[in-house]
Amino acid sequence: MMYLLAVVFWFFSFRKARGLSEKQIPLMASLTAMFFAAQMMNYPIVGGTTAHLLGGPILAITLGPYLGLISMTIILLIQALIFGDGGITTFGANVWNMGIVATFVPFIVYQLALRVTSTQRGKFVGVFLGALIGDVLAALCAGLELGFSTTFPYGVPIAVTAMVTHHVIIGIGEGAITMGIILALEKARPDLLQLPKLAPSLLGGS
Amino acid sequence: MSSKSLMAACVVLSLLFVTIGAVWLSYSAETLDEVAGKFGVVESRLWNAPFPDYEIPNLRGNVLANIIVGFVFAMVILGVTFTVGKLLVHSRRM
Repeated sequence: MMYLLAVVFWFFSFRKARGLSEKQIPLMASLTAMFFAAQMMNYPIVGGTTAHLLGGPILAITLGPYLGLISMTIILLIQALIFGDGGITTFGANVWNMGIVATFVPFIVYQLALRVTSTQRGKFVGVFLGALIGDVLAALCAGLELGFSTTFPYGVPIAVTAMVTHHVIIGIGEGAITMGIILALEKARPDLLQLPKLAPSLLGGS
Repeated sequence: MSSKSLMAACVVLSLLFVTIGAVWLSYSAETLDEVAGKFGVVESRLWNAPFPDYEIPNLRGNVLANIIVGFVFAMVILGVTFTVGKLLVHSRRM
């Protein structure tokens, strides 16, 4: 089921990502490598699961959610094939949680914030809330998947509570880091942020 | 800041993150396996990963080896993503 959802999103993402600009490639590659490394900074929580930064929000807000999904897919594929992290059977679920929910949700929240306010402060609130909500919803999905799994020793309430509470903290950190990276890019390479994001049609744009 | 400087900054940060993960956090500890074992769940692998749990098989517990493996594959991901990006740009032109 999760694989099926992932395939649908991959299909549209690879089609939309053809609008990628040559200038965006170094940023996409650098952020993807950096968040692969950032995902190694994890710590154990309940039942053998771990919590870590996701990276989806910054990828989605700087490059658009379609490229964000492609970047996260590369990370998750290397983790599964080379390190046995996540695994093959859970790959579809991981793509759904970290590649789709944690990229599309932050992007939509950020775009909604831009519609409400055009101030710099409003934009950063949108970035922060997008990252926080994206992380928490991704963790909620992971908690539900674990809770309903027959191999996970604890039920849905424990799995969801553990995943969500830890990822609220991580989401706050991810929101702050995402704001920091956007701020740094605005100062160092504002041209990269002005490139078209690969998802305007998500909110009814052109 | 040029694209090369941007990439260099991300490479340095990647090394920092891998080091923090290897030295202070427990990315190499696949505790899910241990918990599953306690509940009698037997792992059946569809695929044998060459570096399970981010460790070199003969150097398990070696922090420096963990850092090297993590950093090398961060650079591999940089290269793979760069290539995918180039292919996406190229596919539009075709």
